[in-house]
Amino acid sequence: MSSALFATDLGKRYGRKWALSSCTLDIPTGHVVGLVGPNGAGKTTLLHLAVGLLTPSSGSLTVLDEAPASSAEQLGRIGFVAQDTPVFESLSIATHLHMGAALNPNWDAQLATQRIHDLGLDPNQRAGRLSGGQRAQLALTLAIAKRPSLLVLDEPVASLDPLARREFLAILMEVVAEHDVSIILSSHLVADLERVCDYLVVLASARVQVNGAIDDLLATHHRLVGTRRDLDNLPESVHVIESSHTERQTTATVSSADPILDPAWSVETLTLEDLVLAYMGQAEEQRRELVRPKGGVK
Amino acid sequence: MLGLLVGVAVFFALTGPHLWNLYDSLKTCKAKGDCDSLTHSLLNEYNKYFPFAQAFSLVLPALLGMFWGAPLIARELESGTYRLAWTQGVTRRRWVLTKLAIVGGASMLAAGLMSWMLTWWASPIDTLNASRFSSLVFDTSYIAPIGYAAFGFALGVTAGVLWRRTVPAMATTIAAYVAARVPFFHFVRPRLLAPLKLIVSLKHVGNIGFERTSNGVSFIAGGTNPPNSLAFSTSVVGKHGGEVTQRWLRDHCQSLLQLSNPKPGKGIKVTTGIRPKAFSDCIDKITATFHQVLLYQPANRFWTFQWIETTIYVVAAILLCGLSYWWVRRRIT
Repeated sequence: MSSALFATDLGKRYGRKWALSSCTLDIPTGHVVGLVGPNGAGKTTLLHLAVGLLTPSSGSLTVLDEAPASSAEQLGRIGFVAQDTPVFESLSIATHLHMGAALNPNWDAQLATQRIHDLGLDPNQRAGRLSGGQRAQLALTLAIAKRPSLLVLDEPVASLDPLARREFLAILMEVVAEHDVSIILSSHLVADLERVCDYLVVLASARVQVNGAIDDLLATHHRLVGTRRDLDNLPESVHVIESSHTERQTTATVSSADPILDPAWSVETLTLEDLVLAYMGQAEEQRRELVRPKGGVK
Repeated sequence: MLGLLVGVAVFFALTGPHLWNLYDSLKTCKAKGDCDSLTHSLLNEYNKYFPFAQAFSLVLPALLGMFWGAPLIARELESGTYRLAWTQGVTRRRWVLTKLAIVGGASMLAAGLMSWMLTWWASPIDTLNASRFSSLVFDTSYIAPIGYAAFGFALGVTAGVLWRRTVPAMATTIAAYVAARVPFFHFVRPRLLAPLKLIVSLKHVGNIGFERTSNGVSFIAGGTNPPNSLAFSTSVVGKHGGEVTQRWLRDHCQSLLQLSNPKPGKGIKVTTGIRPKAFSDCIDKITATFHQVLLYQPANRFWTFQWIETTIYVVAAILLCGLSYWWVRRRIT
């Protein structure tokens, strides 16, 4: 099976700060991938690397088995909706469609016109006068009409109100159903992604914390609750992500390929949100460890 | 800007025929003998518009750089639309090169048209003034403006790419344009080729006289450049070397120095009017001992200079475009 995105030790540095580092990913095609992480985690950097707007500072990356932006043909196979859905404010919707037709080899003019019509937009309207939701829809139309094999969306719903957000995601799902297309979309809210994604990448502190098919992730992550004890006694195959202790009770979020059979623990299933928060918490904890001064004295 | 260009074109179209008509009748006036009045009326009527047209032509390349060059890529970077533009199915290389070629070409075309119109319109005036090589005329006629336009445009693009914002890029463009052009025509152009030397007797030099300075009296003489040439330097030099110094004047023109004693900065007497005998005696002595040495670029080098300068600015424009392209490809990533 070919890869939608294949990264090996990928990194991007701005000055002395790494916006993304040691990123190794192999995302197969045919998924709707959610890229989730707090603001400033490196989501936009990763997506800009994927669409060729940025070049890596280290490591390597292929998208649909080719280097990003390596040729016009490769660029034509990827639809990108950037954060805040930029459009040319002074140009009309129709001009945007003409531009798309002129610049993209697989442009589907009928699809584009139909979608604008279905959205109830006037083709002669200037893009600068559209509402946030309409502008996002125009940007999505431009990306879809390229007939891409991969659609990349950077926080597409962040600036939309809840209704527009639901509509946008519904249309996105229609697109997946109708066309054979892989999707990568980012958000800092798990709730946005939960309904539409079947694959998850958690990015925090410039690093990939976890990634995999959502079903697999939920099947291999558990919350353990038991009387207070040391976690060192857990089997080798169990990896602790986050733990907390009260006077009498220990709670731990763990990943384990094998089922946990120890009767001393009560094993609970996690929601996707729990899982993501556990990894973000772990990343935050590691970051604090790094910046904490040695000796602990101020 | 296009509107301005059209306005200038309309003005030229309206006044040009009359101007040329006057000039044509001037060429046939010799028989009738009213040449002076015709010349006078032509220059009088049209010389006053000339500086405006020249000024517009002079600033046009900077305007093109500011309004067409600077926003070309900066506006996309500033508004974020580069993320839309550079992820379409064309490579960034083609995107940049196409933009540079179309808008850069249009800039050169606009400047070329302006130059062609102004050259046609002003050619009678330039002929009468014999000032083809003067920097105002040289800079605004024939092919040099095309080179300046290419340069101004490329400067705007480069500033835009480096700043990534339109407004500071526009300000940088005009400042850099002036900084690149003024020293060039002032210092570089006269030295592009070795100047010719011409020795003129002071008898043929107009505007000759003395000026009182804070430490005495100094000799002054006006320039006498051949028509349509570019002056490099003018100096009064002794036939056996040396200059007209204070000491020389004290030794040879004692009576002149004893003349009325006006304040420093005021001329004792210039060429016109009644000359005291002491004045003309001194002039005669100077004329016998000194002559004027002119260094200049002759009129027949005009086209060589146009080509050299156009080439220099076009090459500079190409280098700047190359820098912008490299910056977009390698640094804005």
